Amino acid sequence: MNFIYTFGVATTVALDAQPAWGRTVTTFSLIAFAAPLGLFAAAILAFRGPGMRPAGTLRVARLASGTAFAIALACLAAVIVGQTVTTPLIGWGGLGLAMRLDPLSVTMFTLVSFIGVIVLEFSRNYMDGDARQGQFIGWLAATLASVILVVTAGNLVQLLLAWIATSLFLHRLIAFYSDRPIARIAARKKFIVARIGDICLASAAAILFIRFGTGDIGAISSSLKAIAAADAASGLGLPALLIVLAALLKSAQFPAHGWLTEVIETPTPVSALLHAGIINAGGFLVIRFSDLMVLSASSLHLLAIVGGFTALFGGLVMLTQPSVKVSLAWSTISQMGFMMMQCGFGAFALATAHIVAHSLYKAHAFLASGSAIEWARLTQTKNRKPLMPVHFGGALALALAVYAAFALGLNEWAEKPAATIALGAILTMGLSLYVMRGIQARSSRRLIVKVVGTTVLGTAIYFAVNAISAAWLGGVVAPVPSPDWVSLTLMCLAVLSLLAIIAIQMADTEKVLPARWRTHIANGLYVNALFNRFVSAHRLAAARNRS
Amino acid sequence: MNIQVSSHESVAYEIRDLGHLRPADKIAAAAETAMRRIPPVWPLKDFVAVNPFLGLADENFADAAARLNAIAGARTLMPRAFYADALKNGRMTDDDLAAALALHRTQHKHEISLAEIKTQLQSPGPDGTRQARLVMDVAGEATGTDWTSIWRERISHWAASRFDEGQSLWASRKENDSDYSSWRAYAAADQTTRLLGAPGFASAAAALPSNPRDVLELCAARLNLRGRALVDHFHALLMGCGGWAGLARYRLWRAELKGATDTTLLEFLAALAGWELSMLEGLDEKFGLADAWRRDREAAAFKPSQDFVIDAIFQSAYEIAWQRSCIAQIERALPTEECDAKPLQAAFCIDVRSEVFRRALEQASPEVETIGFAGFFGVPVAYIPAGEESSADQCPVLLSPSHTICETASNGKVRDRHFLRAAAQTWKSFKISAVSSFSFVETYGWSYAAKLVTDSLGLTRPVSNGPREAGPPDLSETMNGHGIPAADQIAIAENILRGMSLTRRLGRLILLAGHGASVVNNPHAAGLDCGACGGHSGEVNARVAAAILNDASVRVGLAERGIIVSEQTHFIAGLHDTTTDTFRLFDEDRVPPSHADNLARLRDLLARAGETARAERAGGLRLIPGARLKSQIARRSRDWSQVRPEWGLAGCAAFIAAPRNKTADIDLGGRAFLHSYDWRTDKNFAVLELIMTAPMVVASWISLQYYGSTVDNRAFGAGNKVLHNVVSAFGVLEGAGGDLRTGLPMQSVHDGERFVHEPMRLSVFIAAPTHAIDRVLSNHPDVKDLVANGWLHLFALGENGEPTRRWVGDGAWSTNSPGKGGREIAQEVQL
Repeated sequence: MNFIYTFGVATTVALDAQPAWGRTVTTFSLIAFAAPLGLFAAAILAFRGPGMRPAGTLRVARLASGTAFAIALACLAAVIVGQTVTTPLIGWGGLGLAMRLDPLSVTMFTLVSFIGVIVLEFSRNYMDGDARQGQFIGWLAATLASVILVVTAGNLVQLLLAWIATSLFLHRLIAFYSDRPIARIAARKKFIVARIGDICLASAAAILFIRFGTGDIGAISSSLKAIAAADAASGLGLPALLIVLAALLKSAQFPAHGWLTEVIETPTPVSALLHAGIINAGGFLVIRFSDLMVLSASSLHLLAIVGGFTALFGGLVMLTQPSVKVSLAWSTISQMGFMMMQCGFGAFALATAHIVAHSLYKAHAFLASGSAIEWARLTQTKNRKPLMPVHFGGALALALAVYAAFALGLNEWAEKPAATIALGAILTMGLSLYVMRGIQARSSRRLIVKVVGTTVLGTAIYFAVNAISAAWLGGVVAPVPSPDWVSLTLMCLAVLSLLAIIAIQMADTEKVLPARWRTHIANGLYVNALFNRFVSAHRLAAARNRS
Repeated sequence: MNIQVSSHESVAYEIRDLGHLRPADKIAAAAETAMRRIPPVWPLKDFVAVNPFLGLADENFADAAARLNAIAGARTLMPRAFYADALKNGRMTDDDLAAALALHRTQHKHEISLAEIKTQLQSPGPDGTRQARLVMDVAGEATGTDWTSIWRERISHWAASRFDEGQSLWASRKENDSDYSSWRAYAAADQTTRLLGAPGFASAAAALPSNPRDVLELCAARLNLRGRALVDHFHALLMGCGGWAGLARYRLWRAELKGATDTTLLEFLAALAGWELSMLEGLDEKFGLADAWRRDREAAAFKPSQDFVIDAIFQSAYEIAWQRSCIAQIERALPTEECDAKPLQAAFCIDVRSEVFRRALEQASPEVETIGFAGFFGVPVAYIPAGEESSADQCPVLLSPSHTICETASNGKVRDRHFLRAAAQTWKSFKISAVSSFSFVETYGWSYAAKLVTDSLGLTRPVSNGPREAGPPDLSETMNGHGIPAADQIAIAENILRGMSLTRRLGRLILLAGHGASVVNNPHAAGLDCGACGGHSGEVNARVAAAILNDASVRVGLAERGIIVSEQTHFIAGLHDTTTDTFRLFDEDRVPPSHADNLARLRDLLARAGETARAERAGGLRLIPGARLKSQIARRSRDWSQVRPEWGLAGCAAFIAAPRNKTADIDLGGRAFLHSYDWRTDKNFAVLELIMTAPMVVASWISLQYYGSTVDNRAFGAGNKVLHNVVSAFGVLEGAGGDLRTGLPMQSVHDGERFVHEPMRLSVFIAAPTHAIDRVLSNHPDVKDLVANGWLHLFALGENGEPTRRWVGDGAWSTNSPGKGGREIAQEVQL
């Protein structure tokens, strides 16, 4: 594991020490802007031919997204060999457009542009014959370009503008079939949530600019690092809180999650891009400003509480959903909650890894959602062995043993903070459910071998990801803070409540919880119904005209 | 203009012979009548075409159109502009309109002139708004809240969980309560209605009677409905959630096929009515809903309209125009002389996609002739692949499987399959359980980077179809009743050969070609497979049929029944991939060495025919014929983003039961179901009866499914494919919620610029004496309804230059040769 840490340190050093030829590199880095610009150009071209089967647009969009991905890979390579740069500012007075290419941003840049290539490619044939395919591709490309500008933002102005632009372009995609009432309602709700989020982010940006006298995110981060936690009372609690609010609203956290499940009213590729590329922006924002977060304990607590609750709540609701896409949307809500909780516990590097892995998984899950019938055919079963306490115990013991073996073998616990242990415990619980289903299935020895093998490999992957992400992002995200008693309580609460949910599922949810509860949970505790009422979603057109 | 509109009676039709019933029984009978008007919906895993007008076939086409418009706001005909365009661009002519007018004069006693009806082309026609009123509609007007949509959404939310067949991990409880009581418990607990402005709803639902029949009686009493108004009301409720009602109707259909019954649909209707009653109670105090309903009832009256008769005339003209050219083509073609048996014979499914391939195969060499037969080859079996728990019905949905067949497989293979299934099940619950999904993402989420790339490139499928190589079906009888007894095998063999009119002139190598499609990531994939095999790929049936027909003892039995199959004849099973027009042959190792040359020749000809067929279909797929075509089409069949991998049965227009030599030289453009039939070898016209009661009915189901999905995709189709959201592991929603969608996606009938499927009712051409056809009709009232009420057009093909005749009424046939104008036809019709 040592080499990874060394590597991380090297990156950190590169960040601070500008080599002599740094200026050339800095100028050269402006090329990175070609990625979003190319996509914007493709979008403009698309709007000039907004109709059906836009052959030229499709070619240009393919070229633009491919180029963006190639540039992302080049940036990734450059950062790996030690070049962390912020491009020259295009602007004035410390405010304007600039890209910051560091391990965090190039990771997100690569991810988003990869998803972009896949989604645009998918939309070629999928949207073929749609009367407005050109326009669709245009909004898709413009949204993609904006997300790239968000994740690579090196200046508060770029961050804010791209943040707002993303949401406005996405709005057009959500309301793509504007004749669909639910699509319109979802867009309306999303619009309200997004504008509140914009206000939060804009205020936070303004406060930070006033406080530090620059819009340069790198510079702000460096200044923040220099502030000891003791000085934290100096007015940084408010911007931290505002950023947390903006992030929670962006990532569809409880109770602002309602619109996400309704975005299914728009073509599948939009869902793939949204769930894999855009919804992450909230998490990314928190991680980008992790140096600020660790200075505000209450912000971290808020993240942990809202994220943890959303993870739990979304996970339970997901279990009740009979339709594949709605179930995936609830899954995203829950996963984003878990990621926010990781941030709340200060595990920013791990949260970044979660974002990337989740995006890859969820993009695929949406694009492949047409295979649900095939899946059901393959996985339907009538005979599952009845549960016995020994299964439960055995599974938990096995997963725990594997985890402990790794942790002890790598001497992890000696130096790791409580958050890592708590999150590891949650991983173990999840794996134990898997092991138990393996035992429960009418199984052969072969299946047991496979399940155990998968568990061991999975745990190994987890530890590897943990180490790599810590090393890779060590220089850009704040280290895991030592928890206060509130955080410790929240961790215990998270572990215990998630354990309870595991136990309920092992015993078969429908047998443990009353049917009434299922009704309430399947309806998402009616939060969305309230929101619908608030935006008059169910007013008849005639009644609206009258009033 | 003077029209006696029969639709007047139709909207308000009679419930027969109810006078003697007790009130409660009358209500039950009304519910029963309404329920029978709902077409069943098959699950996507064995998706088959269903006539969306099933249950209305006892009514005239135009009357049913009026009814569906009034009850559900559904359009059953194209907009007037469509027919105006057709007239303008020459797709149909004045002659066709005149002929249609004449035809309809026999059904609706109208006195419309050609000039009059042409002026009607400029008018907008029926506006497609529902006239039937539900309590929710009245509540909506009283409160300004869209209670009708909320009703549909809430019912759908409950039904999707209740009828879930394996999507959600936390299922709603199924044991110990009926569907209706499950709904009542749901409605009593659900707070949505309260939050949206009906605070008394939940408690009113909780207070509803516990017996579904009592709810329907309460509904009739509280809403003051009886007789046909009650039937219409129940019908409108069911059509308001027609998809889920169709699922419930499907359960009833399946149960009745097995001689049992099922109450799901009745309970579902009770839930719909219960919603209404709870709404009435829940909102009454504040909005005086009961009074509003009473006033509304007094004001409401169906406005019968003549428009539907006029539309139906336009539609008939549109069809007559096509029939004119089709008949001309058939009559122009000189039947080829019957020659000696050709060495190679190939039997295909009647599916319209076979027509293209058959023509290509016959063109490839004069030594091959083709046969058309229902693609299950007369072998209605349930099939259990090795290692699976349940069977799939490999037969038309009108039938119940007669035997159960298992795949032959070694123990090792069965163990492998068990392992793969168990591993997939375990993996799925790892992936989508609460909490474990976090662990899944953090460990194996990364692997999807590779999966995204390989699936995008078509190198892998989202769900691997596993070891596809299936062993031969095992016909031998087993302890648990699987297999086919020897005596049954002989009977099946005889039915197959007689059904195909292949009792003499058998060739050396006879191919039995089932068919299936190869597509990826497509919820409606089964709809592209063989409908005659219950929405599955047809190789199993072909293999079973070939095995039976090759069996020496079966052949002895056949000889006793007067059919000689000599040792010179060998049957071989194959599978036509309709997406790629490639072929697979099965059990080649069983072909005797003496037939090796024939086999090699067959393989070669099939490959050449594939080239021709692909080239013919290329245009429809926007591909250019050439050297790369085969790989382009193959790529398409592996493309997970492809929404139009092939056109399925789009374009289907005709059903022809005749010897192949009558149609052999005609290019029917992949639009005809071709059933081989030679009435001279048909004792007592038993085969004719079979053809008209089974394949012809199935073909009309298919044609009407395409018709419905084309004329009103919102009502009878599945909507936009890019919004599809698979629900309950059963069907699709369009988007996040709403009703379960039935029928075909828009992408299956429309290419974005135009309808690829021309909306036409099926034109059936039978080469048989008219008296024989008449006799079948009189023996089968259901089939006669289809013909007499205008759900299909029936023609008799003449012999030796005789003209083609159209069925125009009991025992009445009119000639309809292409040279004739409408006037002459009109005269004949009146004679």
